[in-house]
Amino acid sequence: MIRLLGLQPTYMSRDTLEFEYRVSNIQQNSISAVEVSVVWLTEGKGTEDLGVHFFQRLTGNSLAASDWSIPQQVHVPLPDSPLSYEGRLLKISWCVRVRFYLNDGTELVAQQPFYLGTITREV
Amino acid sequence: MSGWWFVGSLGEALFFASFFLVGVMCFTTLVAWQFVSPTTGVRIGYGFWLLTTVTASFIVMGAVGFWYRVLKVATSDEHREVIAKHGLVSRPNKPHNRNLLPPMVPLLTPFTDSPGAKLAFRLPGEWPGTGALISIGLFAMAWNAMMVVFSVFAVGGFLEGKVQIRLLMLLIPGIYVGLRAGQLFFRSYVQEIGIGSTTVEIEDLPLVPGKTYKLLLVQYGRLIIKKLSIRLVCEEESTYHFGTDVRTECEIVRSQNILDQGRSRIDWGRPLELECQVTLPLDAMHSFQSLHNAIHWKIIVEGEANRWPSYSRSFPVVVYPHARSNPVSQPL
Repeated sequence: MIRLLGLQPTYMSRDTLEFEYRVSNIQQNSISAVEVSVVWLTEGKGTEDLGVHFFQRLTGNSLAASDWSIPQQVHVPLPDSPLSYEGRLLKISWCVRVRFYLNDGTELVAQQPFYLGTITREV
Repeated sequence: MSGWWFVGSLGEALFFASFFLVGVMCFTTLVAWQFVSPTTGVRIGYGFWLLTTVTASFIVMGAVGFWYRVLKVATSDEHREVIAKHGLVSRPNKPHNRNLLPPMVPLLTPFTDSPGAKLAFRLPGEWPGTGALISIGLFAMAWNAMMVVFSVFAVGGFLEGKVQIRLLMLLIPGIYVGLRAGQLFFRSYVQEIGIGSTTVEIEDLPLVPGKTYKLLLVQYGRLIIKKLSIRLVCEEESTYHFGTDVRTECEIVRSQNILDQGRSRIDWGRPLELECQVTLPLDAMHSFQSLHNAIHWKIIVEGEANRWPSYSRSFPVVVYPHARSNPVSQPL
């Protein structure tokens, strides 16, 4: 589960995105890796593009050092661009994505969209 | 990829692995023959180097293909993107440098390297017809050159008393196509040079939403303009795969009229100069460029002139996000 800590899911460029994530009903020793990322992606008529603004991969000691019974907090300063956008041929959206890789090969993915900037209506 | 993606990826990885192994085996054999037992090997010359290049390309293609497929299965999209950007060794997330250029916005350098005569920058122009003109010119040149060669053969045969009917049957439509291509090229060329060049100068770059900028349009040539208009447009561009084709689609999503000019006379040495102002809407999206998608802003000049076909010339500009009102570290 991902929870944005801001009052609204809209951030201005250079704001700091604060969020927390946690996983429940999973034993700590069954997690082999965790990936946390803040990404933008394009959707629409063209081939999808993906840009990674923030990426963190926890494995081994860093994974063992984390206490997964409490939410993990992350602070990420946001960039100037690309701003969230909804056009006719393309849409640019931002999201926080967390992937949990379990020892049995299962992959759990959660993502939480948010807006960067206020240009989100169709022009 | 159709079918079960895992089997497909595994199959591709195995294919590239075998490609790599075949390449290594052939390369090793070739080098061993050459240097261990030079009497039985391939003599050094073009043949040896050609075989070396081919086998080395097998190794490179196999290795790259194999690791690309493996990474595609073993890593997430985000992780792959990070590896592509920073390499396999992970680095700590650095704090965001405020002085860097805004990400995914086109570089400003191509737009600011030409100073204007009256305003700060002279914008580079995009001529939509230039590509077609060059293509027609190249085609006309190549085709007519080919026809000249065939004609020489035909005349040579005729002088020797042999009339080559098949060659003549080929030459008659061929020469017609060559003449039409030449005519089309020269007509397009005269249109291009006859209307005269258009330049646009702007007070400042990059453009920022909510701000107003002075603009200067100079239209050269010797003609009577019936109508001339300047527009600021925002265009979305998407590239996608359609079967085996790669297609690009563009759509103007925003258009703002800047100036409309009525009938004017332009003469050599007395170009038409029009000054105007352009204000970017506060809610304008910034310029954006990714691998397959883009948002472009352009100043488009459209004109209609007496005895000439209507024309359109476009001048791309860069729009920065609103927050970046002070481009502090623009590398020029």
